[in-house]
Amino acid sequence: MGKTEFLPRRVYIEKKSLHRALTKRILKNIGRIPLEIVEDSQDFLEERKISRDSVKHGKKDLFITSQKGEFVKPCPCTPHTIGCNYYIINLDLNCPLNCTYCILQHYLSDPVITVHTNLDDLWTQLDVFLDRNKDRWIRIGTGELGDSLLIDHLTGNSKELISYFKNKHNVIFELKTKTVNKIAESEEGGSPAIEERINAANRVVDKGFRVGFHFDPLILYPGCEKDYNDVVENLLEHIDPARIAWISLGSLRFPPSLKEIIQERFPETKIIYSEMIKGKDGKLRYFKPLRLELYKNVVRAIKEKGGRRVPLYFCMEGKSIWREVLGWVPRGKEGLEAYLSSPFGKSVV
Amino acid sequence: MKKEQLTLKEISLKDERFRTSYHFSLQKLKLSLEEIGLLNAPLVTLRDNRFILVSGWKRVLACLELSFTAIPVYVIEEENDLKTFLMALYENLASREFRLMEKAEVLARLKKFGEDEKRIIRHYLPLLDIPQTLSLLDAYLAFSRFEPEMKRAIHEKNMPFSSLKLLTGFTPQEQRLLLPLLLPLGQNKQKEILEDSLEIAKRNNMPAKNILLSNEIKAVQANETLTPLQKADKIRALLREKRYPVFSSWKGSFDSLLKKMKWPREITVNPSPFFEEDSFTVIFSFENQEQFKTHLLKLKELSSRAEFLEIFKLR
Repeated sequence: MGKTEFLPRRVYIEKKSLHRALTKRILKNIGRIPLEIVEDSQDFLEERKISRDSVKHGKKDLFITSQKGEFVKPCPCTPHTIGCNYYIINLDLNCPLNCTYCILQHYLSDPVITVHTNLDDLWTQLDVFLDRNKDRWIRIGTGELGDSLLIDHLTGNSKELISYFKNKHNVIFELKTKTVNKIAESEEGGSPAIEERINAANRVVDKGFRVGFHFDPLILYPGCEKDYNDVVENLLEHIDPARIAWISLGSLRFPPSLKEIIQERFPETKIIYSEMIKGKDGKLRYFKPLRLELYKNVVRAIKEKGGRRVPLYFCMEGKSIWREVLGWVPRGKEGLEAYLSSPFGKSVV
Repeated sequence: MKKEQLTLKEISLKDERFRTSYHFSLQKLKLSLEEIGLLNAPLVTLRDNRFILVSGWKRVLACLELSFTAIPVYVIEEENDLKTFLMALYENLASREFRLMEKAEVLARLKKFGEDEKRIIRHYLPLLDIPQTLSLLDAYLAFSRFEPEMKRAIHEKNMPFSSLKLLTGFTPQEQRLLLPLLLPLGQNKQKEILEDSLEIAKRNNMPAKNILLSNEIKAVQANETLTPLQKADKIRALLREKRYPVFSSWKGSFDSLLKKMKWPREITVNPSPFFEEDSFTVIFSFENQEQFKTHLLKLKELSSRAEFLEIFKLR
């Protein structure tokens, strides 16, 4: 998380999780932080929702509990767009960063950074899932409902996950951490600077891994074209394109109800007042000609700066955007999955 | 609580500290009072040696209009305003639904009379069918601060929560400017006007009154040939165009292309919503084979024109 690592203000531990190895590891790493044992998770979470800005307060505390449902789920994508058959692991929920546009403000009902400690259940579920899908490529990752690495210094989960996946020959495993985007200064509260993120990616490449980049959400603002070009240039100057597994592109989009949350939590932001229309999936997104311009600019920059062979894909876009920007349309999510999986051997991404 | 007979002159209506209902029609109640008299005695209490009304405003006002001289009342012997107010609240809760602005007034009174914020959220919000969140309490409290004219309009037009929430983003002066635009319109169009003017103001970093007092809008308002509804609708369209300039220009290009092609009214051609998809839709109706063929021939003729290809640039 940049120069200062996240430390919670207070740690809440569900009684059932007290004896687990991960809980003990977190408590060892966390040092002297006030602890509270939670008898009833439901009451605890309900009580927290009363706060005037429960989302903001939730980013300061850590809740150690168990995953009651499935750890592994298909990435929900959105209707009427081309999916990519990605799977997500819901290990940690929520994130200490305070990004204006973050979907988690709307999506997560429990306002607290949550760590699930029943890792034995995770490994069992993954074994069953991978066995069921042994004849195909699986792209799977953490970081969908929280950042993969921002609390990793407390949990150490990334090491365990890499160690689990390193011998799985049909799996591309991805750890996702904060996206590269120059709007960071105004809209991504607490996020590391771009240079810092690129340096981090470089260190990952040096260790022999491939890296993926998600330019998502691309945000329209005066001067964004030049800024995104600079980011792409900076990125491709420092990272060997051959080590880039993929670059995904997505533009700012959110369900209408998130708009109200953003208005309340970030009254100064202007990003929600661009020309956004309601798409077929019910989400607000930039009017198509504006999205096309945004995408074409970034794709042009990637190609011009040496990334011609880097696999590019769109997150939550339909056929016409693919056709107009990239000049081809995948044959559904299976087609896109095949395209994104093909350059790999046994890589861990 | 004891029952007494008071003359209406003895009840002070100037003190509205317990009042939460405004802008009601007395017509039906008056009919009932004339037929069967006042069956349910209003609640009053003594403050500074005066009887003030706690509950039953509608009943007392109707009795006044019917020139009743005295009515039965229950006198609450409670000096604490909060406890007194709660009696009125529970009496009303049991007998009727609260409207949106009434809920706002109830919550404002509870707060004013010193009820604990957490207890308001946990206990009273569910009683009023409001989810238990602090932000919703804040919203309702903000509604209670609207000016009386605005409250009346909200009540009469039955404006929904979402529009009221938007209204709180405007200053009282801006709300006064908006009022004549909102009154003639239905709920959806009201919301559109509120949303667009607020968002243009935020995007352009200027107060909403600059938009509402712009020359274009003033010109529409000054146009005496237009009805209030036509004015409101015209201003709504103007705001929409300013809020979505690129989309409006695409829509304008599409419409003028059809105009240039003299596209027949009986055949509708539509782009996909917001031009999101590549496809267009053509709709026509027919009653017999002849009509069907005529439409197809017309479409064939239209599609062979050079301008027709322009349509496909707009997607």
